[in-house]
Amino acid sequence: MVADPPRLSTWCETLRKCGRALRDILYGMTTYEMVRDLRKERARLEHLFVLITMGDLLGIPILPPYYSLRLLPYVLPCIEGWRCCLLRERDLTDLTDFET
Amino acid sequence: MNAITVLIISLIGIGVGYFLYARTIDRSIIRPDGSKITPAKMFMDGVDFTPANRNVLFGYQFKSVAALGPIVGPIVAVRWGWLPALLWVILGTMFIGWVQDYGSIIVGVREEGQTFGALSFRLISRRARTILLLFIYAYLLLLMAAFGKIVGFDLMTNPAVPLGVLLVMALGMAAGHMTYKLKMDILVTTGIVVVLSFVGIWLGTLGPIKSLIVTINGGATSPVLFGSVTWAQFLWSLVVLVLCYLGATLPIWRWAQPINYVAFWIVFLGIVGGTIGLVIWHPSIPADFPALSSFDGKLGDLMALGPLWPLLFVTIACGAISGWHSLVSSSGTSRQLELETDALYVGGGSMFLEMFLAVLSLLCATVGVGYDKYVALVGKGANAGVFANGLAAFLSQIGVPVSFGLPYGAVFLTLMALTIMYLCVRFMRVASAEFLGDVVPVIRNTAVGTIVALALSALLIWTGFWSYVWILFGGSNQLMASLALLIVSLWLKSKGKNYLWAFLPFIFMFITSIAALLTTAFQVIAANLKGGLPIDKVIGNWIAGGLAIFLSLAALVLAWDAIRALARPAEAPKTAQA
Repeated sequence: MVADPPRLSTWCETLRKCGRALRDILYGMTTYEMVRDLRKERARLEHLFVLITMGDLLGIPILPPYYSLRLLPYVLPCIEGWRCCLLRERDLTDLTDFET
Repeated sequence: MNAITVLIISLIGIGVGYFLYARTIDRSIIRPDGSKITPAKMFMDGVDFTPANRNVLFGYQFKSVAALGPIVGPIVAVRWGWLPALLWVILGTMFIGWVQDYGSIIVGVREEGQTFGALSFRLISRRARTILLLFIYAYLLLLMAAFGKIVGFDLMTNPAVPLGVLLVMALGMAAGHMTYKLKMDILVTTGIVVVLSFVGIWLGTLGPIKSLIVTINGGATSPVLFGSVTWAQFLWSLVVLVLCYLGATLPIWRWAQPINYVAFWIVFLGIVGGTIGLVIWHPSIPADFPALSSFDGKLGDLMALGPLWPLLFVTIACGAISGWHSLVSSSGTSRQLELETDALYVGGGSMFLEMFLAVLSLLCATVGVGYDKYVALVGKGANAGVFANGLAAFLSQIGVPVSFGLPYGAVFLTLMALTIMYLCVRFMRVASAEFLGDVVPVIRNTAVGTIVALALSALLIWTGFWSYVWILFGGSNQLMASLALLIVSLWLKSKGKNYLWAFLPFIFMFITSIAALLTTAFQVIAANLKGGLPIDKVIGNWIAGGLAIFLSLAALVLAWDAIRALARPAEAPKTAQA
């Protein structure tokens, strides 16, 4: 009996999708949390850096504007995330999402 | 009934619950829109708000919600008979459990990622938020006591267990160092550390090591230190508290995170191995294990637990419905959902999978251990030991010797409990700083806040009756769940949607939880008034009774405010501006 090539490829594709889904689920159960924690750690440091260099935006002039303007092109990509993070209202129940 | 039949019935429950009921609600009432921008995209900051793939999020949600609850609850609840426990696990998940998890995610997604504290303030009343936070603190305290007692009094006092647990901790720290400092590949690190962890657990089973631990415990029968607490129980519960202190104060990457990572593999391999062993073995539930024992939960010579309603419904919390899930769903998952249409798969799907874990645990107690051994173990207070014995029996079917399977099951449970306990202490520390920081500034200090949280936990661990503490923990957990259902109902009402599918479960859970808390309060106070208890138990009973009454009153005030909020008219639908 000759195997039906399109059907076989469909099966292979389905198996591949299942394998990918299982891999993602396992990732979600294991290293995803570590990745999130590292992102949080990096974001904290970045936000601190932006606060020091771009404090003028919040009315906290820490660095003279001359240096802030020199650094502006490097900080620009972070500003949107920083703004969102600073403006967001936080509640104590936020902390149940893992580490504090 | 054969174990495989039980598994098939659970799978049918999952099929009907998820594919028929949950999907109908999802499509006809919530109507998620895949084209709507979720908070994860709208407020993307690369930290809290980050869109994640639905499968990744499913894994994250399941790992965050499945702890010791779905394992220990069913083991205790089979004292009413395995049938009511099984029915509650399946029907509870089908009609209530997924509603809470899914509802919490949907409310979070539609309300710009707001958590329950903020939502209760907005939807219920100004004081609701404060009450909710006090409530959560008391709930976490009970969780610490229930888990701490299982680990410190039951699991760690087994001479074959402590070395394995401590070595896994040390290897977890090593894994953190290898990953973050030495920049080693995560797969290599995982391979080395997991293999060494199994070697560590095996080392703990060797005669000389066990003799050493027995000596540390003060002999085969450990001497009583105070009240009814033995030296071994005191020592190992103190060790657990020290581990929690480290978990709550050290940087997350140094302690809690890598240890949790290694612990996950120990637990995951145990669940997979146990399930395969069960399927190969496919035994029947022993005929002498009653399907229904008695309404007051009296099994053999064991002490009666109390009336089936309401106590069974709080004894099994996780695995049927649990308030913890709503906290994880609203503050974590809802902020990472890429598409609204993923909410049911992530929230509902992981709840149904947790139900499966609870059924496996129930089978551990019934077919894995059997009636006589179950009564003997529970009679000695070794509730967690029941699971370790059951898992060892399942693993023996795939060639794992019982002498290794038994301590492995105990280490498995210990790690599962500790994973959650670190988080609880961290939260309690911050909550106490928030509440009392202005009045008592010293509480803002990390060490002081943590020690206060641990001291309160220790008081309950060393004084309370475990069965009462467990039921109180379950009651507060279910009350938390019912409050989450209430917030979901209020939100549905405010949007002019049908809210009965969340409100009816709320009424059932609310009345049941309050009844369970008050029943337990009555039991512990009556036991104290009757007299004859050692002083530690008297203190523990008064604390437990006080907590039960406080939680009930807090919930009633919150419900009163919520009913008034429910009477408010629904929000007018937003119209596009011309």
